[in-house]
Amino acid sequence: MAGYVVLGLPCGILCAAAGMDWWMTAVMSILFYSGAGQYMIPNMYLAGNPLSAIILSVTLVNTRQMLYGASLSQFCGNVSKRLSFIFGATVTDESFGVNLARFINGGWTVRAALFVNLFSQSAWILSNIAGALIGAAVSLPTALASFAMTSLFICLLCMQKVSKANAVAVVGAILGVILCKCVGLSGPAILIGALVGVGCALLFSLKTGGSDDSAIKVGD
Amino acid sequence: MSVNDFFIVFVAVAITMLACRVLPVFLLKGRQLPETVVRALNFIPPAAFAALVANDLFDPAKVTSGDVWSWLAPLIAAAFVVIVGAKTKSMAWCIVVGVGSLAVLTYGPVLL
Repeated sequence: MAGYVVLGLPCGILCAAAGMDWWMTAVMSILFYSGAGQYMIPNMYLAGNPLSAIILSVTLVNTRQMLYGASLSQFCGNVSKRLSFIFGATVTDESFGVNLARFINGGWTVRAALFVNLFSQSAWILSNIAGALIGAAVSLPTALASFAMTSLFICLLCMQKVSKANAVAVVGAILGVILCKCVGLSGPAILIGALVGVGCALLFSLKTGGSDDSAIKVGD
Repeated sequence: MSVNDFFIVFVAVAITMLACRVLPVFLLKGRQLPETVVRALNFIPPAAFAALVANDLFDPAKVTSGDVWSWLAPLIAAAFVVIVGAKTKSMAWCIVVGVGSLAVLTYGPVLL
């Protein structure tokens, strides 16, 4: 969870650099709660993008949450609607990784997973506010603050299981993103790249005859 | 950012975000997913994170600008993070090393 503090501080600083008051940063951390999104908004705003472009890009990036929701839904079969709602609403890239691993290993409940989510979010909100206050007082280079996000994604990538199919997914996604950006599709680049990666890996794993790396033990 | 701008962006993204997060949980709740779908879902994390990293590190405008250091420095810093990430699996260390090494690579040459 220290990761959230280290990540939240630069995010708050970036928001302050974009001229947002500390309460805006706080409201966003509570109700929007998206690391990538909250980095993208001030980044794009500082780069002079129109509001519509910001909204569209952030939404496109956030569609990946749908995939997390779809993936976690299989563990929400016998819990109340309210619990599933709150749990679903508090999923993030980071806590998804932590919770999915525990669900697959077994002996993990939605309630326990929700605690992980809420704990992460509290750390996120507090460090964002702290970052916003620091950012309002001193000015720091935004390139450094946004690299905190990149570092976090690299770390999450390193935590994935090492397998041939996963490697195909990674290479496919990277090539997809590079291609998209070269033809000027920088907004949907992340989404398209990720889908290309998933598609390549799926084809690869079906072609190579379903090794156990992709036969995930869920639902049994 | 003005209060008005903020609310336009914030409300729009918050609504789409909530929909993306919550809808699949309810629509698919408790249902057994086909094997191929499960397989595809498992490739999402590596593909999504790789796409996010590639998106951050690759900027055609910087590559064509002629300023090699502007894209090489983050790339070198990212390589350090990969080493630290593979060894420690710690988010905090990755961020500290990533931001720290980029700071040194960006501002170090200027100071020398």
